[in-house]
Amino acid sequence: MRRSLPARVGIYAVLLAAAVAMVLPFWWALTTSFKLPGDIFSGSPIPDPFTLANYQDVFRRLPFPTYFLNSVIVSGLVVGLNVIFGTAAAYAFAKLRFPGRDLIFFLFLLTLMVPFQVNLIPLYRIMVELHKIVPAIGVDTYFGIVAPGAVQVFGIFLMRQFLRSIPDEVLESARIDGASEWRILRSIVFPLAGPGIATLAIFTFIAAWNDFLWPLVVTNSDAMRTLPVGLALLARRNTVVWGQTMAGTVVAVAPMVIVFLLLQRRFIEGLTAGAVKDVG
Amino acid sequence: MARTIAKRFRAGVPGYVLVAPAVLVTVVFLVIPMIQTGYWSLTVYNGVKPPQFVGLQNYIDLLTDPRFLRIIQNTVFFVVMGMAIGPVLGLASAVLLNQSVRLRALFRTTFFLPTMVSLVAVATVWKMLYQDQGMINQVLATFGLSGTDWLNDPTTALPAVVVTSIWQGFGFETVVFLAALQSIPREFYDAARVDGAGAWAQFRHVTLPGLRYTIVFVYVVGIIGSFQVFDQVFVMTQGRPGISTRTMVYELVEQFQNLRLGTASAIAYILLIILAVMSYIQIRLGEGD
Amino acid sequence: MSRLTRPVILLAAAVLAAGACGSAATQSPTSPVTSASGAPATATAAATAAATAAGPATPEASIDTTPVTLTVWDYYGKDTTPFTPDAIAAFQKEYPWITVDRQDLDWDTFIQKFNTAVASGQSPDVATLDMTWIPTLASNDVLADIKTLSGGAMNGKPIADQYAAGPLEAMTYGDKYVTAMSDFDAYVLYYRADLLEKAGIAVPKTWDDLRAAAKAIAKDANGDGKLDKYRYAVRPNTFHFSQFLFQNGGSLLTPDNTKAAFNGPEGVSALEFNQSLVADGSGLYWSDASGDLPPALADERVAMFSDGPYYMGLLKSGVPDQAGKWRVAIAPYSKQPGSYLGGTGLSIPASSAHQAAAWKFVEYFLRPEQQTLVYTVAGAMPATTAALQGPDLTKPDPYFGGQIPSVEFLETLKTSTHFPYVSAWSDIDTAIGENLDAALVGKVTAQKALDDAAAAADAALAK
Repeated sequence: MRRSLPARVGIYAVLLAAAVAMVLPFWWALTTSFKLPGDIFSGSPIPDPFTLANYQDVFRRLPFPTYFLNSVIVSGLVVGLNVIFGTAAAYAFAKLRFPGRDLIFFLFLLTLMVPFQVNLIPLYRIMVELHKIVPAIGVDTYFGIVAPGAVQVFGIFLMRQFLRSIPDEVLESARIDGASEWRILRSIVFPLAGPGIATLAIFTFIAAWNDFLWPLVVTNSDAMRTLPVGLALLARRNTVVWGQTMAGTVVAVAPMVIVFLLLQRRFIEGLTAGAVKDVG
Repeated sequence: MARTIAKRFRAGVPGYVLVAPAVLVTVVFLVIPMIQTGYWSLTVYNGVKPPQFVGLQNYIDLLTDPRFLRIIQNTVFFVVMGMAIGPVLGLASAVLLNQSVRLRALFRTTFFLPTMVSLVAVATVWKMLYQDQGMINQVLATFGLSGTDWLNDPTTALPAVVVTSIWQGFGFETVVFLAALQSIPREFYDAARVDGAGAWAQFRHVTLPGLRYTIVFVYVVGIIGSFQVFDQVFVMTQGRPGISTRTMVYELVEQFQNLRLGTASAIAYILLIILAVMSYIQIRLGEGD
Repeated sequence: MSRLTRPVILLAAAVLAAGACGSAATQSPTSPVTSASGAPATATAAATAAATAAGPATPEASIDTTPVTLTVWDYYGKDTTPFTPDAIAAFQKEYPWITVDRQDLDWDTFIQKFNTAVASGQSPDVATLDMTWIPTLASNDVLADIKTLSGGAMNGKPIADQYAAGPLEAMTYGDKYVTAMSDFDAYVLYYRADLLEKAGIAVPKTWDDLRAAAKAIAKDANGDGKLDKYRYAVRPNTFHFSQFLFQNGGSLLTPDNTKAAFNGPEGVSALEFNQSLVADGSGLYWSDASGDLPPALADERVAMFSDGPYYMGLLKSGVPDQAGKWRVAIAPYSKQPGSYLGGTGLSIPASSAHQAAAWKFVEYFLRPEQQTLVYTVAGAMPATTAALQGPDLTKPDPYFGGQIPSVEFLETLKTSTHFPYVSAWSDIDTAIGENLDAALVGKVTAQKALDDAAAAADAALAK
């Protein structure tokens, strides 16, 4: 559909202005990460002299590969578990009938309404007890970091709303053909929910990658720390070490930008809007 | 009667199986801690000595304290401002980004970039930008406008924190709406166009209804999240100047740090009750069935 | 097997395997959980309790040499901690049955993690605690009594002889020592000597001197009629307010710690002094929300301020090009020198299962050689008197024009007072800070601001 020139210019202008507003604070953070301490408060928009020292410090002072790997493992696990079990539960809430369905869903929602900080101590105690019973799980393990977020109500809610818009007729006809709910789930629902699943994956990944408070509390050893917890150690008492903190922020954001570009291109762009594909 | 109930349970087995993993995780790692916290809200407890039962005293103390009521008010302001602007911006940008424009992927990435960074990092950067000599005032100066000391002025501090939050957060709504827009069958738009509907009519009669469930989701989750605002306040203002930016979770964390677990838990449950009522109303109104 | 089932099973297996791998990697003797779990802990705790309950007899008589791993939580920072790998190795050599597991934590979130651990029975054996956290922790009986653990002696000499009066009092709660101070924070005046010299003004010694000096060197650089350069930073928090309060002869609470006293005439005139600096433009209102001072020092909006030893490091890294221009001096006072006293204390949680060994660790790192590391490595001021008078701390500092800053800091230490150790202290601190904001920008009178804060403080104290 060919738009008129003024309309096209208008759209681009708005997009550009908004994009600039989004990026400007990052410009400050990015340039600061390449500045020497004495230059950071000089007010100049360009680093002078340009230095890689902050990045070298971040990689040298912290066991960066360990933190990075832990973040990758933890985030990957959380995303995988949520996509599978969260979508399954969401489908049940959206399309299946069973006694107590709405009550269970509302109870799930209630858990979102309590700030995580208050659950910190009880949850930590649970992890301590679990660790005593089975040393492979609980405090200071991947299990300990991942388990509370393994199936998140936020994701279930998101997918439930997406899945509600799948026409019931499609599912009914599959049921009449004798398909089990499980087969319907993987052959019809998962493919159709592509954009929703991509969205779920992106959000869950970001939340898991940036999660700070719980990994801080549940890990004790450097070997288990994730990236945000490790980067927090760049701070000094009462003060921010600007160059290194900004370098750390840039380094932490980079993987997510890549993940986002990959996912959004394949799923959000790839599927034709709303077309119901042939499945089976 | 019993047979019908039994039959319904049996018919519901697939549902139960599919939600079982979610139920397991939620009960063990969320519900049990919440019950523990609920009990503590009825006690005076410092985490070390055994809790002392005091019934509803914590709740009464909080809800009759003008300072805490002001804190609730700050939080409500934050929520109202954020939810009035954020989703609207999100929907508008989703519609824009759904057009066929060049560099669509790049634009989407820049819109979503702030949401990918941790809130603490965003707040740290914006705190510097809001300084009297910071970038925001410098940019305003180039347009001939004079800024103020945003975070130190009691009238601008809370709005300043809101702006940062919206900047960071509306990318979330953009992506959610974008995915939802993709799920609206194109046939609906074709049918509407055949009936002679223009762009605005199409938006009102095809897009908005098609986004109904997503809108409910965005508002329910958005309100729940906004009520729990903490990171930005912790980094940017610590609740100051005065108590103009102090929010409920900020107060909660401070009570926790003072080893007043009973009071902290009571604040959490007051929050829970407010949010439970609001969410119930929203879902009822929004979904209706 | 359906297409999805296999990946799910693999995934589940991966979770369990990863969980096992993760903890296998940490299944070293340094796992902190082993020191506080199950029966062995209660036995050791009982033994320790018996030993400490025996009173201040010589604990050396019965040294328990069963191998022990100490968990030390440290917020000094990995590269800037006085608990250097070499120092720890030397400690472990002297006490071969003790293994040290030192863990880095960041200061901002330390207390949350610490409280969670303590409330879950998983406390570390030694922790660096900011002195501002001591009131809450001490009044909730979280900290062990060092007096009984040590018998009153540290490294062979009485503890009381190794600290100035201020730190010693700060370590005391009731009749216990709840912490052993390792570094201290007290405020001196930092000033741009080059600017004062150019204006022909001597170093300010009294409040009037300070006001005059601030007025004399402040400038209106952009010609808009308002002073905008070379000002004195006025900060609205309890640390700074109490400095002026103490200098005026006032105190925060009544001697029995039951009511607020900071809204008395001494407090009011202290606050009014600060208000007057802001009002005539020579003082720049600099709240905590404005962040650290270095940005304002770099563009020279601020030329004088009061703060503690750690600002020496901030100056050197934030404004290296101003080296040689800054000096420190005893903070100007009205009636008597005074400052708040804070810093870091090494504490042993009461729920630690290895308190005797923990004390050996604390004691070792309070020896002069290790205390010197607090200065040379961490850039902070050691709290023990011997270290403050040692050779490393009495070297001229080129950044400060050859001055020896520790002299000023030691002098200030002698007249510094810690915050009251009442369980309501956090609420009082918050109440004072919140009310200072409005007063300092001139929106309310000093008396009203302090009265409002005092009312909130009294209510908190009454609970």
